[in-house]
Amino acid sequence: MKTLLHHETWTGTDVTIRDIERELQRLRSSSAASGSMHLRTSVLTHIAWVPREWRDAAEETLQGLAERHPSRTLILTPEPTGATGIDAELALRSFAAGQHAVYSEVISLTLRGATSLAPASIALPLLISDLPVFLRWRGRPDFGGRQWRQLVGVADRVVIDTSEWDELRPNELCREFEKTALSDIAWARTVEWRRVLAGTWPEIRDQEIRLAGPPAEAELLRGWLVARLERGVRAVAPAAEISVTLDGVPVTAPTMFAVTSSDRLSAELDRFARDPIYEAAVRATA
Amino acid sequence: MSAHAEENPLLEGLDLGRRPESCALVIFGASGDLTQRKLMPALYSLAIRGLLPEHFVVIGAARTPGTDDEFRAKMREAIEKYARDPFREDVWERLASGMRYAALDFSDETSENSLVRILSTVDAEYGTQGNRVFYFAVPPNAIATLVSELAARRAAEGWVRLIIEKPFGNDLASARSLNELIADRFSEREVYRIDHYLGKETVQNMLALRFANGIFEPIWNRQFVDHVQITVAESIGIEGRGSFYEHTGAIRDIFQNLLLQLVAITAMEPPSDFTADSVRNEKVKVLRSLQTPDPTSVVRGQYGRGFVEGIEVPGYREEDGVDPASMTDTYVAAKLYVDNWRWADTPFYVRMGKRLGRRETTVAIQFKRAPHPPFAEATSDSLRPNVLLIHVQPDEGMSLAIGAKVPGQGMSIRTVHMDFLYGSAFREGLPEAYERLILDAMLGDATLFTRSDEIEEQWALVDAITSAWERDRTAFPNYAAGTWGPPSADELLHRDGRSWRRH
Repeated sequence: MKTLLHHETWTGTDVTIRDIERELQRLRSSSAASGSMHLRTSVLTHIAWVPREWRDAAEETLQGLAERHPSRTLILTPEPTGATGIDAELALRSFAAGQHAVYSEVISLTLRGATSLAPASIALPLLISDLPVFLRWRGRPDFGGRQWRQLVGVADRVVIDTSEWDELRPNELCREFEKTALSDIAWARTVEWRRVLAGTWPEIRDQEIRLAGPPAEAELLRGWLVARLERGVRAVAPAAEISVTLDGVPVTAPTMFAVTSSDRLSAELDRFARDPIYEAAVRATA
Repeated sequence: MSAHAEENPLLEGLDLGRRPESCALVIFGASGDLTQRKLMPALYSLAIRGLLPEHFVVIGAARTPGTDDEFRAKMREAIEKYARDPFREDVWERLASGMRYAALDFSDETSENSLVRILSTVDAEYGTQGNRVFYFAVPPNAIATLVSELAARRAAEGWVRLIIEKPFGNDLASARSLNELIADRFSEREVYRIDHYLGKETVQNMLALRFANGIFEPIWNRQFVDHVQITVAESIGIEGRGSFYEHTGAIRDIFQNLLLQLVAITAMEPPSDFTADSVRNEKVKVLRSLQTPDPTSVVRGQYGRGFVEGIEVPGYREEDGVDPASMTDTYVAAKLYVDNWRWADTPFYVRMGKRLGRRETTVAIQFKRAPHPPFAEATSDSLRPNVLLIHVQPDEGMSLAIGAKVPGQGMSIRTVHMDFLYGSAFREGLPEAYERLILDAMLGDATLFTRSDEIEEQWALVDAITSAWERDRTAFPNYAAGTWGPPSADELLHRDGRSWRRH
């Protein structure tokens, strides 16, 4: 983990967007005056939709992410039952990166009451102009819901993790492919296994394939094999880790370097286009 | 879909990265400083990122007697000391398992037999398939014998790539002779003449800046550019390399390769694609277009005693291994012209030297002034010309100097810098130049290496300059260590109504 060089915060309750902009400006000026931050370079705006139950996990991921991507992160936590209003916590952070510093702004907003139903109207004025917007949706989205539709509308790419869902829901996912570019962190976790299995071509074409593993990852892997090999593959067996046998012979598991959830999310923030191989894999599981 | 993916549908869309074929890397000069400080840390960085071939062996070859285990211990120490990544036992174990050592006498034609035996053994044990990368981290006089002997013992299977460190020759005749010797035995596609500066991200970013942005190329010419300044300044001295430097001087050490390559990259036309031949074809056109500067357009210098970063340092003639009456140049400045449609009459002022005020490699594109500033309050001093400054090192990045209104009443203009620093914009740390170049060589990508015709054009220009020096006896030393070179270098620009960039 990189060294945190500088950290300034501000918190406020019942704030307006103008309050947030003003306080951000003040924090930047104060940091510049103290000589802590000379330069602000951003490469994206990252919106994280984080319901309360995902807050801790999201914080941990974002800690790791902020030091890599000089960006503005908007963490939106909906509290539909509270009195209408916005509570804000702003943080300016800079991390040592060689001789330089990577700079991040984190704007955590709790959207209480009616404001939780209009998240895009709050996010839009806080986006950095002309930079790509990534939406990380924690947990299972309500695909037809207004928050999902609104935030997908302002994002260039949406990052989900189907392993956070109770089941894969391929039909709902497939409908979203035409509306936005989707990244699935569960799919990203299968990449090492896909490389290994690609190395078993052409024998794998005609072999009996058996898969076991966590439901989302193993099911996506099965869908990928079905789509690429254009043939049926047995249903997956539940297990903690992915394993594959070809004609009853176990395939040696790939070397898995320690990759954190921040690393996975970070890698997804470097992608922009739709992923037709992933989409075909999901369709094949439907 | 690629032909490969058509055969194997599982490969479609799978990013396999830039992973080379299995091979053995033989480093000649493995006991040297370069291997420990740069090459081995670079291999470790590639290993930690999973970029080395699946089956990979490193064979260190040097005159010093030693064993495999001693070599491994030394390389481990080097990685722990110099690598940019934290030391990881699992990565080291994988890398070390394929390390071998061969004690060779490079001048003995038969000693390569033992190397061939080791290579055959590792082919069988590690599946390196006869693929070889030979890295020549040895003095130039050892290269010819090695090249001949390697060619005579070339394996029947697999590919061969030769990475040859600079300096490549000592003048046009010697460079041409070495090129011919190599060309008789290996094809140009197998030869990788390395100058590590070309592997730096910022040098490559110059190509991205020029050819991936629509806004720069239209103004990248004589109509909009007043002049170009290229500075390669070092604050260090010759670091114990007296006998080497006595034979090279600044002009052969830096001007002949790095500096002329920076000129070529700055001035080249857009290549049709980013393949090695396309890029190098464009660079060599620039080198061929360089006008030989007349003697009044070249300044040479040699440092005397002075202070660098608060410490008194000796003059060049007082350094170990240096002739007390040495006439070797430690500084060169020149005004160059690229005689083509794009750059006619646009001077490229270049300078490089040892023991200068600070370490800095920059390319500055100074644009012409606004033709008629309508602001009565703006003084000529406050309205400085726009400069696009590319920092090659340190602080890799670029900055654009623009005029901006000072807040408040009136119309006062001040120059401000818009900065882009690599370290602040991208999450990935900058790879060391050697990482990129070793990987490229293993992949067979010669784009960032110098071709034989480029080398010969560079030497032809250097020979033309140095032949004039034989008739001229400049009084050395003519600049104090820690300054920015001899006063005559300033006069070179003052004569044209210009000055070197402020530091």
